[in-house]
Amino acid sequence: MKKKSKLFYIQLSLTLLVCAFLIVPVVLSVTAGLTANYIVGVRSGLTLQWFGKVWELYRDTIFRSIMIGLVCLGCTLMLGIPAAYAMVKKQNRFTRIFEELLVTPLAIPGLATALALIVSYGRFTDFRKSWLFILVGHVVFTLPFMVRSVIAVMNSANTTQYEEGAASLGAGFWHRFFHIVIPIAMPGILAGSLMVFTLSIGEFNLTWMLHTPTTKTLPVGLADSYASMRLEIGSAYTIAFFIMIIPLLIAMQWVAKPPRKKVIPEKTELSTDLRRTTEMEKNALERNPIPRDRGREPVSGTSLRLENCSKTFPDGTQALKPFSLSVKTGETVVILGPSGCGKTTMLRIIAGLETPDPPGRVFFGDEDVTELPIEKRNVGMVFQSYALFPNMNVAENIAYGLKVRGLGAAERERRVSEMLEMMKITELRNRRVDQLSGGQKQRVALARAIAVRPRLLLMDEPLTALDAKLRDVLRAEIDSLLRSLGITAIYVTHDQAEAMALGDRIVVMEIARVSQVGTPREIYFKPQNRFVADFIGTLNRVTGRVEGKGLIVPGGTIPLEGISHLQPKAGEEFEVFFRPEQAEVVGPGEGHFKATVAASFFMGDHTRLLLDWTDASYLTIEAKSNQVFRKGDLVEIRIDPASLLTLRT
Amino acid sequence: MGRRFNLYLFLLMVPGVAFFAAFFLLPLARLALSSAEGPQGFKVYLLSLTHPRYFTTLLNTLLLSIAVTLATLVISGFSGVFLTRNQFLGKNFVLSMLTFPLAFPGVVVGFMIILLVGRQGLIGDVTRWLVGEKLVLAYSLTGLFLGYLYFSIPRVIITLMAAAEKIDPRLEEAARSLGASPFRVVKDVLIPALVPGLISSGAICFATSMGAFGTAFTLATDIDVLPIVIYTEFTLLANITTAAALSIVLGLITWIALSIARSISGTTVAAAG
Repeated sequence: MKKKSKLFYIQLSLTLLVCAFLIVPVVLSVTAGLTANYIVGVRSGLTLQWFGKVWELYRDTIFRSIMIGLVCLGCTLMLGIPAAYAMVKKQNRFTRIFEELLVTPLAIPGLATALALIVSYGRFTDFRKSWLFILVGHVVFTLPFMVRSVIAVMNSANTTQYEEGAASLGAGFWHRFFHIVIPIAMPGILAGSLMVFTLSIGEFNLTWMLHTPTTKTLPVGLADSYASMRLEIGSAYTIAFFIMIIPLLIAMQWVAKPPRKKVIPEKTELSTDLRRTTEMEKNALERNPIPRDRGREPVSGTSLRLENCSKTFPDGTQALKPFSLSVKTGETVVILGPSGCGKTTMLRIIAGLETPDPPGRVFFGDEDVTELPIEKRNVGMVFQSYALFPNMNVAENIAYGLKVRGLGAAERERRVSEMLEMMKITELRNRRVDQLSGGQKQRVALARAIAVRPRLLLMDEPLTALDAKLRDVLRAEIDSLLRSLGITAIYVTHDQAEAMALGDRIVVMEIARVSQVGTPREIYFKPQNRFVADFIGTLNRVTGRVEGKGLIVPGGTIPLEGISHLQPKAGEEFEVFFRPEQAEVVGPGEGHFKATVAASFFMGDHTRLLLDWTDASYLTIEAKSNQVFRKGDLVEIRIDPASLLTLRT
Repeated sequence: MGRRFNLYLFLLMVPGVAFFAAFFLLPLARLALSSAEGPQGFKVYLLSLTHPRYFTTLLNTLLLSIAVTLATLVISGFSGVFLTRNQFLGKNFVLSMLTFPLAFPGVVVGFMIILLVGRQGLIGDVTRWLVGEKLVLAYSLTGLFLGYLYFSIPRVIITLMAAAEKIDPRLEEAARSLGASPFRVVKDVLIPALVPGLISSGAICFATSMGAFGTAFTLATDIDVLPIVIYTEFTLLANITTAAALSIVLGLITWIALSIARSISGTTVAAAG
């Protein structure tokens, strides 16, 4: 450690001086009681005598303050938490104005608030003379602290994802409010409660104006004791006050500290662990594929039909142009597209988290569910962020949807165990959610969604948050799960490999519209337009002039017999496309055209070549990995004529 | 999540809004109206502001609050930044000492000042022993100044420490790597980064000093500050219109100060105590 500078000592002494300024009087207040006793000649029970006096004279003020503090706390909880929640959820002009108004008691001196209350309600003498009058003042003064504390936590915890999670499991509004929102907002509620209670106990500005001789509170009593000019009693009373607030202060600091999370290392041990379990699972599946009738009711999937669904957001942006789609029972459909293309909106319409613009309709089987909110649709949903409830452990999370449906404890227990076993996470049963790794969270989320035996399983980019290796493992698991359960599933992703691996059919989306619907093979080999072809895999584009049955390109001629149905006219500018693996590097004289190597990348199972083409473009070719290329080599390329594509733009 | 959802949210808002309207908004409006119920009508504002006694009181209170604010910011800024940037033996102890007075109501702060610089206070004893004369500051403007300082320092230190913790120490290192002297680092990096915190905590400090009643009530036997004047007008002289008018003026000043601070620093700030 380097030597402390002069500046350090100057700052340190200033800080210590400030500290002394604040603390010396506190110490004095303690000694004042002692010395006064000592001088008077009382040697036994030195300060206790004065505490006895304080008890005798002022105990009613202490009790009254505690009572007012507690009732005030109750009132702020009942008034503040619902209001805070409504303000977080509903952002409109009215709630914003209310939010503004709500902080004004913090800016207006207590004296003014007290005068306002006296002027308005002072003539109701019974009310004026009771402690309720003080209580009202305290609630007005402390309510903003509670509301702000709760709002802050609700905003930072992003309760929406958990509410949607709970709704997808069938929980209605009040169930969500009491079982999800309030537990999650608990840190804010706790901090706000301590704040409110402490403020109420110590409040003087308002209270002095509002109190009557029969409704004195602790600070009023303190002021009286100071005014009585008996330093010992004032000191003893002050010490009593200190003793009361010290636990509150300590509690406040304790609450303010963020909880330390135990993070379990993700990649190293876990992925090998997972690898092992999937290996085991694969073997197990091969030996005895999950029997549908092993004491388990078959999952009752449903078919899905979307008719003319579109979505326009309140600000006028069209997130989705009208589209229709049918999904058969047991089919897995993957919605694939770049970020911001509206694929999640489509999923949320199916889920019931968004309603389509009229006249769009959503059918599950023959049932029109367009107007049903998600909690009535009986779907299972896996969210990108998982949305596991942080206030419940793994087993409780999985059981939540069953609990909402009113299943008995024994049946819940049975199904939770079944799910844990199925997902190979039995040992995680009592773990807290924040102690899980990404892959484990993913499994719990999947188990929670399947546990309710949904009619439809919806997954919103469930693997995006995981690292590549884990993603491969879990993709295989999800695939085998979907097959073995025979469940109808909609899966949203931006990863084409995932889409290819999982989907019976793929819906490729361009910005706000559906580009193509088809099986993975159709999408890959017969893309209907350039967007789809570009988005799935790599595509080479070649332009040239048509001459006879060939296309004249720099360095050679590409035969066009594969697309003869288009009958390109001679002399016409024409454009064809092909994929890297549909061309090969061949010996001299065997190729269609020649090109120069711009770069080569050894990929292990093949070598990827970039060939100089025109000024602004390269061709990408896959060559065998045992061939070695250098920049500047001239190579001959042969294209499988049947694989050439022509595309609409 | 349609109409039903909105209805539930509305139901959740109702109790809070109703209570707040009944016991804060309407009474405040009533107070504003009752200030005009006297013989002079709304002229009471003009009269009370031009009346020499009230005017000097207002000026006193303003100057006192500004002085307290500046002093608090300088002292707490020094200590706050120092405490976030340095580790030393007993730091946690110092921190808990500094935050202990956070929950003291104004009256207790007043009593603390009496114990420190009152008639039987420590400083008085020390000066009598040194110079033979008792130094008594508690019941003057200086006493009030010290009291407000006592009240504000813990709050401001907490806010500024939180602000200083958020400053990326690499900014300072970058400035130093570019050759800036310690003084320039403070001027070019540290203070600009602290400005929002300084503004918001300064505004709180100003507003609480303007409206502080407890401390003044314990100490200010013969100094006129606005809260005391309002209190005497109301309870002893039963001059409700003037008291109402003055408290509306006081409320407006603090509210404006906090709103300005909020619009500049972009954070919600609150006066307390």
